[in-house]
Amino acid sequence: MNAVNIHNVTKRYQKVTALDHVSFTLEHGKIYGFLGRNGAGKSTLINILANRIFADEGEIFIDGLPATENMAVQEKIFCMSEADLYDTSLRVRELFRWTDRFYDSFDLERALNIAERFGLDTGKKFRALSKGYQSIFKLTVALALDVPYVVFDEPVLGLDANHRELFYELLLNNYEEHPRTIVIATHLIEEVANLIEEVVLIDHGRILLEDSVEHLLETGYCVSGISEDVEEFCRDRKVIGEDTLGGMKLAYVMGERPRTVPGRNLQITGMNLQKLFVKLTEDADRKTGGSAEKRGQKE
Amino acid sequence: MKKLRTVVQYECVTSFKYIWIFYAVVFAVIAVISAIIFLVEGSLELVGTNCLEVNSLVYVGILGALGFKEDFRMLIQNGFTRTYIFLATLSLFGFVAGILALVDTIVGRGLHTLLPGGYDSVFGALYGYQYSPVLNWLWLFLVYLTVCCLFYLAILVINRLGKVSSLTLGIVLAMVIVLVLPVVFRFLLPGRVTEQIRRFLMGAMGFPRGGEVNLLFPILFFMAVFLLLGTASYLVIRRAELKA
Repeated sequence: MNAVNIHNVTKRYQKVTALDHVSFTLEHGKIYGFLGRNGAGKSTLINILANRIFADEGEIFIDGLPATENMAVQEKIFCMSEADLYDTSLRVRELFRWTDRFYDSFDLERALNIAERFGLDTGKKFRALSKGYQSIFKLTVALALDVPYVVFDEPVLGLDANHRELFYELLLNNYEEHPRTIVIATHLIEEVANLIEEVVLIDHGRILLEDSVEHLLETGYCVSGISEDVEEFCRDRKVIGEDTLGGMKLAYVMGERPRTVPGRNLQITGMNLQKLFVKLTEDADRKTGGSAEKRGQKE
Repeated sequence: MKKLRTVVQYECVTSFKYIWIFYAVVFAVIAVISAIIFLVEGSLELVGTNCLEVNSLVYVGILGALGFKEDFRMLIQNGFTRTYIFLATLSLFGFVAGILALVDTIVGRGLHTLLPGGYDSVFGALYGYQYSPVLNWLWLFLVYLTVCCLFYLAILVINRLGKVSSLTLGIVLAMVIVLVLPVVFRFLLPGRVTEQIRRFLMGAMGFPRGGEVNLLFPILFFMAVFLLLGTASYLVIRRAELKA
């Protein structure tokens, strides 16, 4: 069974529930976008997946093997973390060499090629690198590893636009050459919208949505027009958000998208992934009474 | 096993150069102090040092304390389990303690021979110089290993409990050692019990009754303490979490 099964995972920090009975499956050979606001629980889940912290309840299985304290899954998954966990006193090339020894599937030559394309100075110590180049080092390691599951936690943190483009290009090339499961946790939703196939949206420690990008964009749309007409149209439909300007209204709706609305002067347009994300999380906030203060206490 | 060997090599190779930096610093400090005294006094008669192993004790203490955070982060990032990290860290402690004990044994014996009456190592001062250098090395090795493990356990506990709880625990422990224990030993425990504890500790250090010296006792004692601290460390690290 080639998949990562996250089964009923719960993690609490004193009074804060960072993850609340989270269950979903990461299938083999797909690119996932792992989305959520700050403090939603993304990093907590990634840390549990990477065996850095323990779940209070539930379990994660990687290709049927328990992920917790299991050396057998070491060659199956790699989590590139936002935090700097590397030995900062070592030079980049030394870190590459040690990674090559730690993992059977690390391609040192590929790592050096990628580093060269980014202009990463392999003679520099990790601590001497800028934040952007530290991210580049970490994503270079992830791209040079042929493990079946790769998780990127904020991979483009500190990268300029050119380097971000290069990363996305390398990622897609890498995926074409070595199809595997890639998970990208990021706040830059629009940048990865064309990259990801599946979305897992986490909010307040719960899975708010798990769907394909294609289906999401098909089912999410905007309706705009005179307020009364929009309200009439939205009756009995799943509205996830509204914006009002004078007598005009723009509603964000989930569901089957009508081609035309006879008898009313309404405009129906598509919704991009970022807008969908914003409206879904706002909608969830309204329903749960969540707030910015409640978030971020612990991710 | 291949992975374990690799991680042990990582720990040892990345720590090796610091041993020589440490010795370079120690001997440089001694040289500078000697030079200052010579310049001020005009002779080296007042220059003298003893028990250089104390520096090594400080070094292994720092190694034990720092052995957790950096290496734990690096190795957990690279997919190693806590059991592997623990075994690698113990190997590192053994490796460093072994080298330090070897250098300190050679330096201690060498200086004692070169400067008769001018230098005493900790081992020599306690037990004399009639014993085999191997015993000298083994004793030092176990002492260093025990100190490493003690600080390692302390830092693991601090990581587990968090800052506030560990600070509270530290203050309580310090108060117990400084205030409570002396009172307990002096006023509460019967003299017979205090005497037995004193005798046990003296015996554990290799001084059983009758003024004789038995080096087997401290070796067994430090082995037992090392095993105890190692086991406690493993029990703590197996549930250790990466802190942000």
